[in-house]
Amino acid sequence: MNKALMTTLGMLGVMLILFGVENAVSVVTKKLDFAVEGRAAGGFPDEWIHGAKSAMDDTDPAVQVHAYNEHTFILRENKAINYEGAFMYLLFGNDKALLIDQGSTSSPALFPLREVVDGIVNDWEQAHGQKVQLIVANSHLHGDHYAAWNQFVDRPNTLMVGLTHEEVMDYWGFNSYPEQRINYDLGGRQFIVTGTPGHQSSEIAFYDTWTDLLYTGDMFYRGRLYLEDWEAWKGSIKRLSQLASEYPISHLINNHIEMTNEPGIDYPIATSWQPNEPPMQMTVKMLEVAAKAADEVNAPGIYKYDDFLLYNEIPWAYTTDP
Amino acid sequence: MGRVITTKYCHRVVLALLLQAMCLVLSQTAHGHMLNMTRLNVAVDSKNNIVFTVNIDLGGSLMTSEDYWALSQAANNSDGLRSGKMSEEVRLLVEPALKKLDTQVLLLADDVVVPRQLVSWEFPATSLEAIRNSLSPQMATLVYRASPAAVSQVSVKLAPSLAIPWPCLLRVDSAMRRLPISRLLTDGDRVSTPVNLLASEAATTDLLAQGMHMLQTIMPGLSWVAVGFTHIVPKGLDHIAFVLGLFFLATGLKPLLLQVTGFTIAHSLTLGLSMYGLVNVPASIVEPLIALSIVYIAIDNLFATRLAPWRLTVVCLFGLLHGLGFAAMLMEVRLPEAQFLSSLFLFNLGVELGQVSVLLGAFLVVGWCRQRSWYKRFVAAPATVAIGGAGAFWLLKRTVM
Repeated sequence: MNKALMTTLGMLGVMLILFGVENAVSVVTKKLDFAVEGRAAGGFPDEWIHGAKSAMDDTDPAVQVHAYNEHTFILRENKAINYEGAFMYLLFGNDKALLIDQGSTSSPALFPLREVVDGIVNDWEQAHGQKVQLIVANSHLHGDHYAAWNQFVDRPNTLMVGLTHEEVMDYWGFNSYPEQRINYDLGGRQFIVTGTPGHQSSEIAFYDTWTDLLYTGDMFYRGRLYLEDWEAWKGSIKRLSQLASEYPISHLINNHIEMTNEPGIDYPIATSWQPNEPPMQMTVKMLEVAAKAADEVNAPGIYKYDDFLLYNEIPWAYTTDP
Repeated sequence: MGRVITTKYCHRVVLALLLQAMCLVLSQTAHGHMLNMTRLNVAVDSKNNIVFTVNIDLGGSLMTSEDYWALSQAANNSDGLRSGKMSEEVRLLVEPALKKLDTQVLLLADDVVVPRQLVSWEFPATSLEAIRNSLSPQMATLVYRASPAAVSQVSVKLAPSLAIPWPCLLRVDSAMRRLPISRLLTDGDRVSTPVNLLASEAATTDLLAQGMHMLQTIMPGLSWVAVGFTHIVPKGLDHIAFVLGLFFLATGLKPLLLQVTGFTIAHSLTLGLSMYGLVNVPASIVEPLIALSIVYIAIDNLFATRLAPWRLTVVCLFGLLHGLGFAAMLMEVRLPEAQFLSSLFLFNLGVELGQVSVLLGAFLVVGWCRQRSWYKRFVAAPATVAIGGAGAFWLLKRTVM
């Protein structure tokens, strides 16, 4: 047998072995495929549970759980329990489940977030035959996003990222916050994490390469964008716009709904009953409007746009409410 | 999709109705984004000196808004923290609140309440209206000092009668810990679990990690060396295969060093140009070409009877390709703008260290038999076939699959 033929056969053999090993590993470990290519489908509810007219009318669960897809869960705190009606996210990979934010109510009796999360995690682990470590993290360090943090401190197989700026930076691996982009792996499911200060000085955003969802937290949502540091927010919006131009985006997702369906009109602060809410998810076009606004606005004040309001470096007490 | 899972968790009936009725009322007076939550900071230095800082919405909790407004005006401390002797007027106004803090917010060192002394204070307020509105919190700051004889752990205990804006964030900084530790106190969890002032990681014998941390503290950019290194070992399997391809052809040290140096200079060039935005080739083109370069090197190794004069040129050309691959990876990490050049240099240095470690590893394993007569037939050739096969595998995955 000549050398060329032997070489060809040898290389083919190596290729076959590598394909075999790759397949065997995926079968043995039952790893789920969170391929970057393409886009994992998902959906939002037609409308979110949006509070109650009065206490007696409130028969809704304390935590609404919506499966965007089988590995992506969106949770919302009942607005009748706390008017913030904050959204939280539970995202699964092969090795870890990431819980972003823990709502605005501490009491497990009123707001049993741990019980709900445990239920979802247990169901997921049973369905997929694998265990995951729960990572308890936060979009930013405001109390309405970590009030129920304590419910998780004694949970087994759980890592608490922490509630100080230093702990947050250390966990994600930032050494040049906020510009840096961190590649974060939940176990096959890849995220890009970047800094987005402006609303709060430790805020971060996540881009999920599997679903193409871009999570913008409290720095960009349908509502009153309270900005404590305009220049920082401007930089953050520009960075998110840049990210959105480099990667395909399915939806922008975030933490609150405070705008009504009428362009430029928000619900009054502390509204606990919000019928006819607009969708929570936003579009890249809306982000472009915000990026344009970042160039236009040059003084403190309230600036109205169809899908959000900018509260630029003014005391939070001021409001557009009548 | 778009399914709303609600029924599964909907099993509270009477109790929930009652609790939520209470909540609905409470929520009307809740705090937007909880800006007026209480913050407690404990900082302990290496000599057991403790600085305990309380940041609290006094006018919205332990005092009436009117009293706090009077206090703020009397204190007149718009220029920041005051220390020294408190004026009689200020003392009279704030004393009831201070007494509540002294008796209801307890700092414990090794489970024993630590006596503390108020050393500085600040009672800012822009208006009475602002004090009344929890959306514009007017946070008072009280700084205490304590010096227990010994302390290995601290905790905070809040009395059941204490009524303050919740939750309450406790931060503990210790001279013996790299990072602060956070605890959350709530209406239902009023005693923090003790915070050990000796870092659990510092107590370990992981001297390497501690050494790395010290180095990073002195020179933060060093972490880019680690990023560069890990882009080769273990993440850059294709680059490892290429470098090993060079290793298995050259039996002499000089041609190997020449090729590796040429490869290094070439990939540094395209890495730099790409990072400055002067060259931009899509990964869909670069990645298959990198795989192809591995196949080429393997075939050239197997069929060349001697080191061809153009081999160095070809290796340098492939180096340009691999540099584009490194750039694509580095783009995702994003270098800090302020230290762009130094970070780029340190990343590249890490890549080189990764390559050198691959070559050293190869020398350690098969270096002893490189001059043996059977080396080429029984070591270099099979290894090269394996490298070529891996290259073809990646080529197929990066193009067809």
